[in-house]
Amino acid sequence: MHLSTRLGALTLDDWSGSPVALASLWREKPVVLVFIRHFG
Amino acid sequence: MRDQVDEIRKRGAELAIVGNGATHFAAAFREDFELDGPLLVDPELRAYRAAGLRRGRVEILSPRLLGAGLRATRAGYRQTSVEGDPWQLGGVFVIRPGGALAYRFASRDAGDHAPIEEILAALEPGAPEVAEEAPRSELLASVSRAVSLIADPLIVPSFDRGGFRLHALAFDPDDLEVDLTGRRCLVTGANSGIGYETALALADLGAEVLLLCRSPERGAEAAERIATATGNAKVRCETVDLSDLASIRDFATRLDDAPVDVLVHNAGVLPEERAETKDGLELCFATHVAGPHLLTRLLRGRLEASTDARVVWVSSGGMYTRRLQVEDPGWRDREDGYNGVLAYAETKRAQVVLAEMWARELEGTKVCVNAMHPGWADTPAVRSSLPRFHRVTSAILRSPAEGADTVVWLAAAGAASGLAGRFVFDREPRRTHLLPGTRESEEERDTLWQLCEEIAEAAGDRSAS
Repeated sequence: MHLSTRLGALTLDDWSGSPVALASLWREKPVVLVFIRHFG
Repeated sequence: MRDQVDEIRKRGAELAIVGNGATHFAAAFREDFELDGPLLVDPELRAYRAAGLRRGRVEILSPRLLGAGLRATRAGYRQTSVEGDPWQLGGVFVIRPGGALAYRFASRDAGDHAPIEEILAALEPGAPEVAEEAPRSELLASVSRAVSLIADPLIVPSFDRGGFRLHALAFDPDDLEVDLTGRRCLVTGANSGIGYETALALADLGAEVLLLCRSPERGAEAAERIATATGNAKVRCETVDLSDLASIRDFATRLDDAPVDVLVHNAGVLPEERAETKDGLELCFATHVAGPHLLTRLLRGRLEASTDARVVWVSSGGMYTRRLQVEDPGWRDREDGYNGVLAYAETKRAQVVLAEMWARELEGTKVCVNAMHPGWADTPAVRSSLPRFHRVTSAILRSPAEGADTVVWLAAAGAASGLAGRFVFDREPRRTHLLPGTRESEEERDTLWQLCEEIAEAAGDRSAS
């Protein structure tokens, strides 16, 4: 399965607590998706 | 970081960040780095796992494995605190509209970062796509098989995620390069965990997928998520309670007569206390054994009408610990009272036996029946039913998708059709007994089959089929 399909099936909260469907991140333009180890 | 965001935007792209801490840390992080783009939190590491990112310090086949449980306890404890999971490593991906992958970088250790030049180069017009996964090497595959020979009997380094990675080196990536368009797949218990991942993967391969779920809301929500993620509109939910014989019969009656190509018996329960269904059956026995048996019986004609049908029973490695129990499957008269974990394991053993018997029953047809076990996977069911097990092992558990891999393989791969009746783990047939005293007799097998048949007949399946 493509990585984008697997990730695109997920919804996460953003910093303010609103849900964001990951698929929406690359719907219109390319996204640089960075997974960081931890905040700060 | 601000400059890098500008560079990325200059190239028509956006920077999105996923972190594994709590939202208020994300809010502070956003302020510190003056970020105004998407900033997401993933405390359960769902996206990290979906992206296949590593967790540090847990390596396959090292003496450290023995310490993994201890560290996991520590990590599990810390996971509940606000700092996020200290063992999780990061990574960077560039994904284009439509889903093509232009860049992939997974950190090997804490100090391993993706060079910004490489990321920017991937955003240039005409930059090539990158491979989704590292191509399989024949050498690695044979090393995997050799190491598995030694490691697999030790259970832990086999059932855990290290075991999956080891076994996966021997997987043939072409096995799942299949087009399931026009095939109809039914997956029970498909709104979360292994069932959800199975439904997602089958829909991604083009199949029509019916999610058979107890909760219409959760089922419909899962179906919608899968349809959106895969772009496959032929995904829907059917409300069926596998512990309720009438509910199963109703479903079989309202389902049209077109062939059923794949039936995955995945729905499961692990009750704390003995519970009885409307039909007077113990809940585990009803959900894992009697219900799926009835469903298979009712769909038999539609399975046989397929040109290549697969029935997959999702059992559990826990079944190795128990012998088939036909004396008192209802737990009415046990000396030490009811034990949900043992009831679970016994019915998982019964599934392995039933799958073998169904395979024999359907010999000579085009229906291939298998039982499998997913290894130790981090699913909502494990979290809620086995919290202590989950806490101790969380660092070494497989992702639900890794747990579902063999289910999907058995349901979709051409290579799997030669394994009818076998018990499969990580795409390889396995022994069904590892411990002394767990082997059942022919009489006990026949008794189980008779019992299931009697329950099905009492439920009146004849009128429906």
